[in-house]
Amino acid sequence: MELKAQAIDIAYDMRTVVHGMDIRINKKEITTIVGPNGSGKSTVLKAITRLIPHKKGTVYLGGKLLKEYRPKALSRCIGVLPQVHAAPADFRVRELVSYGRMPHQKMLSGLSEEDRRVIDWAMNATGVFEMRDKSIFQISGGERQRVWIATVLAQQPEILFLDEPTTFLDVAHQYETMRLVQRLNRETGIGVVMVLHDLGHALEVSDRIIAMKEGKKYAEGTPSEVITPDVLKAVWGVTGKVVDVGGRPIIVYDELFAPTIS
Amino acid sequence: MAYWENKRVIEVLKNKRAERKARKEGISLLRAGLVWTVLVAVLVFLMLTAIAIGSVRYPLALVLRALFGLEEGTVSVIVLNLRLPRVLLAMLLGAALATSGSLLQAVMRNPLADPGIIGVSAGAATAATTILLLFPALALSVPLFAFIGAGLACLLIYSMAWKGGVDPIRLILTGVAINAVLGGYTGLLQLMYSDNLASVLAFMNGNLSGRSWVHVQTVVVYCIIGLGASLFCIKSANALQLGDEMCKNLGVRVNLNRIVLSAVSAFLAAATVSVVGLIGFVGLVVPRVARMLVGSDYRVMLPTSMLLGAAVLLFADTVGRSIVPGMEIPVGIVMAVIGGPAFLYMLRKRGRFSGT
Repeated sequence: MELKAQAIDIAYDMRTVVHGMDIRINKKEITTIVGPNGSGKSTVLKAITRLIPHKKGTVYLGGKLLKEYRPKALSRCIGVLPQVHAAPADFRVRELVSYGRMPHQKMLSGLSEEDRRVIDWAMNATGVFEMRDKSIFQISGGERQRVWIATVLAQQPEILFLDEPTTFLDVAHQYETMRLVQRLNRETGIGVVMVLHDLGHALEVSDRIIAMKEGKKYAEGTPSEVITPDVLKAVWGVTGKVVDVGGRPIIVYDELFAPTIS
Repeated sequence: MAYWENKRVIEVLKNKRAERKARKEGISLLRAGLVWTVLVAVLVFLMLTAIAIGSVRYPLALVLRALFGLEEGTVSVIVLNLRLPRVLLAMLLGAALATSGSLLQAVMRNPLADPGIIGVSAGAATAATTILLLFPALALSVPLFAFIGAGLACLLIYSMAWKGGVDPIRLILTGVAINAVLGGYTGLLQLMYSDNLASVLAFMNGNLSGRSWVHVQTVVVYCIIGLGASLFCIKSANALQLGDEMCKNLGVRVNLNRIVLSAVSAFLAAATVSVVGLIGFVGLVVPRVARMLVGSDYRVMLPTSMLLGAAVLLFADTVGRSIVPGMEIPVGIVMAVIGGPAFLYMLRKRGRFSGT
């Protein structure tokens, strides 16, 4: 399944925040959208997953117009983990993950044997199976993020969309979440589209990076093509370079108080 | 082979699953079952007590005999025609109000939502006050007008709050504003016609006295429709607790579900108000206590809420008509006096509802 957005404009009320965006998501790849605050990266993610409407342009998913999908049918193709989500504190892990099966259920039916099988798979794939009977407030923030990813995985989507999945996490949990995403992509071939703030993470896990600036696509390509000193300067206004440390690309920003060389 | 069909994983999980099913699902159901059993027992106890006490007190045996039609004369009349309908009415209305509040809390994703906030009480009060003070000839139709008034106020609030969808915060704030306007209007009417306030006051302080089987019949119809519909709302109520975007991701039509749930909630509250006048706090306090007892899953929380609502309102009404000899305190007042402090207590005890 392939997602293709052509020349989309996205507006909040009357204000257009994303202009003429083209985006193409291939299955089995990890695509990361990066950009400064307010560049419209989360907005794009929401529009191509139909959490919000787009004003102009077309979005195709698997050769069919995105807006022609019925809500449940769409939820079986793509899974989105929004940046903001909530659940009652007493929900158990297993219970929360089971909501991922909603797109596969009839209005009044309960969990089928198939549903239970997929829920168990999703909890296992994200490493939360052992804590399935704990309430979601008895576990750590990183574990809770994995539970949410399990919930979205239980939808059995072909493409997984994550909106800043590491934002509220400490370093260890960020690392854990990134590893999980990478492993899921490698082991299952599920396509991943993420919005990330941390360029280091983006560099390490992405197959493709899209850099956005002021509501437009600024650059697109492999990590080494996109994350360059020129783009860092043009998009974020920071100076730095990408160095190779043992085969891994690492961004070295200029010292905080060093005079800016222009 | 689809990626989720990993044979090895499935084999390992099969055994674990059977084990887990027996262990944990058993416990949560057990807990709900226990709570329900206790609540039903409390209800039966309250019913018998409520029927036994009043201006004339009867021993339990006599009450039971009268209930089974083994008594005749005054005892039978008082038990079957005066006290039993009132008891049933209190229970049905309590269940209706609690259900209304529970659904609304899912709509607003806020455990502090009350049917009053969507204008049901203010709308009913506006209509009732207008009829009672300006058109006293129509006094018998007050229930009808109160029901319509409640519905209209609710519609008004929703249409004012609508902006490409229903946002809970905007809805609550719109509710506050419209409630204030309607409150101002009723206040003004009361000032202008301060001589005839008795009937208005009775309406404002929800009152179960003098209700008979006719009222029970009406309310039963309302409850079958409203409580029945609420059972179909369980799944969407549960989903709405996960946040709008998560809901959309799961293929749930957020706005449609919000409107349906609100409509059922408003219907139940309006039906109650139209029969007995304003009763506060049941819709606010009961769902919250139910949540504490059995958790936030509406599959168990909603039935718990219904049972608890029935018990609470029956208790309040019984207290109201027996605590001061020779005088009836309206159930609305008793609920306010019990509900306020109970609510404060819960607010202080438990602050946390949800998180990311």
